[in-house]
Amino acid sequence: MNTLPLSLSIVTDITGSLLIIVFSFLSLRYAWLLSRRQPENFLWGFLFYFCLTLAAFAISRAIGHILKHILIFTGNQELWQTLDPISGGTNTLLMISLAAVTLYYHKGIEGYQAINKKTRSLKEAYDQLETAADQRQEMNLHLEEMVAARTLELSASEKKFRNLFNNSKDMVYFSDASNQLLTLNSAGFEMLGYPAQGAPALHLMEIFKNETDLDNYYQTLLAQGFVEDLKVEFAKADGSGISVLLSATAVYDENHQLSGCDGIVKDLTRIKTMMEQLAASEKMASVGQMAAGVAHEINTPLGVILGYAQLMMDNFSPESEEGECLAIIERQTKVCRKIVADLLKFSRQSESVREDISINEILQDVIAVTQHSLQMDHINVHHDFAQDLPPVVGDTERLRQVFVNLINNAHHAMEQNGSGDLTLITRYDPEIREVVATVQDNGHGIPDKIRARIFDPYFTTKCVGKGTGLGLSVSYGIIQDHGGRIEVESPVVSRDHEETLQGTAFHLRLPAALVETASVRE
Amino acid sequence: MQMLQSPMTLFKKLTPLALILPMALLLLPDQAWALQSHGSPEGIYVHQLAHLFFAAALGYLFWDIGRNSFPGKGWRYLQIFCILMILWNFLAFSGHWLGFHIADSDILRPSGYFSSQIMGPISTIKLIYFCATLDHLLSLPALIFLFLSLRSLYHSSDDKEGKK
Repeated sequence: MNTLPLSLSIVTDITGSLLIIVFSFLSLRYAWLLSRRQPENFLWGFLFYFCLTLAAFAISRAIGHILKHILIFTGNQELWQTLDPISGGTNTLLMISLAAVTLYYHKGIEGYQAINKKTRSLKEAYDQLETAADQRQEMNLHLEEMVAARTLELSASEKKFRNLFNNSKDMVYFSDASNQLLTLNSAGFEMLGYPAQGAPALHLMEIFKNETDLDNYYQTLLAQGFVEDLKVEFAKADGSGISVLLSATAVYDENHQLSGCDGIVKDLTRIKTMMEQLAASEKMASVGQMAAGVAHEINTPLGVILGYAQLMMDNFSPESEEGECLAIIERQTKVCRKIVADLLKFSRQSESVREDISINEILQDVIAVTQHSLQMDHINVHHDFAQDLPPVVGDTERLRQVFVNLINNAHHAMEQNGSGDLTLITRYDPEIREVVATVQDNGHGIPDKIRARIFDPYFTTKCVGKGTGLGLSVSYGIIQDHGGRIEVESPVVSRDHEETLQGTAFHLRLPAALVETASVRE
Repeated sequence: MQMLQSPMTLFKKLTPLALILPMALLLLPDQAWALQSHGSPEGIYVHQLAHLFFAAALGYLFWDIGRNSFPGKGWRYLQIFCILMILWNFLAFSGHWLGFHIADSDILRPSGYFSSQIMGPISTIKLIYFCATLDHLLSLPALIFLFLSLRSLYHSSDDKEGKK
């Protein structure tokens, strides 16, 4: 190679200079856009100034180079030699500026990094605070929701237990350590006979009828922490007693000291009555069996005595002393036979005829028979018969005998007063399908101490010779034989449950006939 | 911490100098070097030093980008720009330097300016000088990489803004 063509250099120089201007301005544009987008970013600021200086350098250098080629090409070399130092000096100045800007970047970036570090630190702190605030807010929000939900649950629970407390048929009470009642439900007030509103502050000492029961209760509570099924007697407001079954649990404070107790008390009166009636029923059953055996054995000799007495009466004049004695023997023997017959009926040994009968009709028959004697003693008869009373299956004669016995007893109870009111009521209880017939008087009533014995055979309060003591026993047997039962109420609670009336009411409950039951169902 | 001198103390120290300097200028004018002139090469020396200064600044920028581990393609392009521009600076420096060693007779223009050519025999100096006249083959790619760098940085900042 002998020569190197500079034409290539000239072309490259001109083209390259122009292209460098283009790319330097394109770079400047992006640097400007970057600095506009993030004005706080020092790096973009540095790049913008760097590109700005570089663009100036590119223009200066390109102009110098292109101008050189043009001037030399056009033969103005002298002019170029004049301009050359200016162009070179400008280029030098801009190159030094570029270098200065680049080195200035060093300090700038340090400052920027320091600021950036602080910013990041502040941002992290801010983020942490924001996160903590969010968490706190969320916790508060959840706390409010949880509190609302828990309040709702507590409210529902409180309502549930309040209902249980208020609607309980048993007494529920809360007392303090000194046995002073703090809270007592309405059933408790009712059981003790106090008004629910305006009742005095009660102490267990006032409620327990026996002091020893209270001591026993309290000592057991202290020793065991609870009392279970303790049978005690409570004193009612009117001074009467009431048998109750008591269960209680001690309540302790945070120092494990007894602070009170809560208890439930069940009224045993009804259960006690039922138990007494059950015991009486068993006793009656055994007595009935025994009486049946005795009656059967006595019936035969009585027949013989009566037969021989009647035979001998043929041999003596009725006016003679022997005839009168035989008549007495015959009459008393018949009384004995009647007693025996009653005993057999009581013990269901005699036969009976069963048919559909109307209790209303039986009662009307009995009233017709007994009304005269009742009126003699100024006893008024009232009746309230149900019109749609279903029939019962039974023996008309025997049921009539029951009602005669009951009315006779009522008559006896009222005759001492010189007047009285006898009320006969029939009704139908569709829930248990029973026909209920009530015989109620306003006589002296039945004392509590003999109430359990009234159905005992031979038990009577009548004078000697006026009653055998078998009337109620026989009635009891007949009703039981009909699948029914007798309930006694003395004194009598009025039908509207508002007042207590003196006297006695016998409630006969007999099962309604099945045919009628079917028709009622239809 | 450096203790600052009070204005009064500073005044006392400068008072003799303030009196001597005007007297010396008035009494000994031949010894006063008020202005120093340099020869014609001063301009090219400053220009060459500017090339070296610029190259050094670019080298620092290249190193600092690597040191800070700025992420992204844009910063890698900027480092390539730095390398190419450093090379351009050295090439330009060499071209300016070797220009003094090329005589006017070494360049022949047989039929005008565009027919200029370097006459043989072609030495290393002449060859390097010829290459130096083609310096745009380095500077133009460098500017292209600068453009690519800024464009990439712009788009990546666009992505970050979008994510925010």
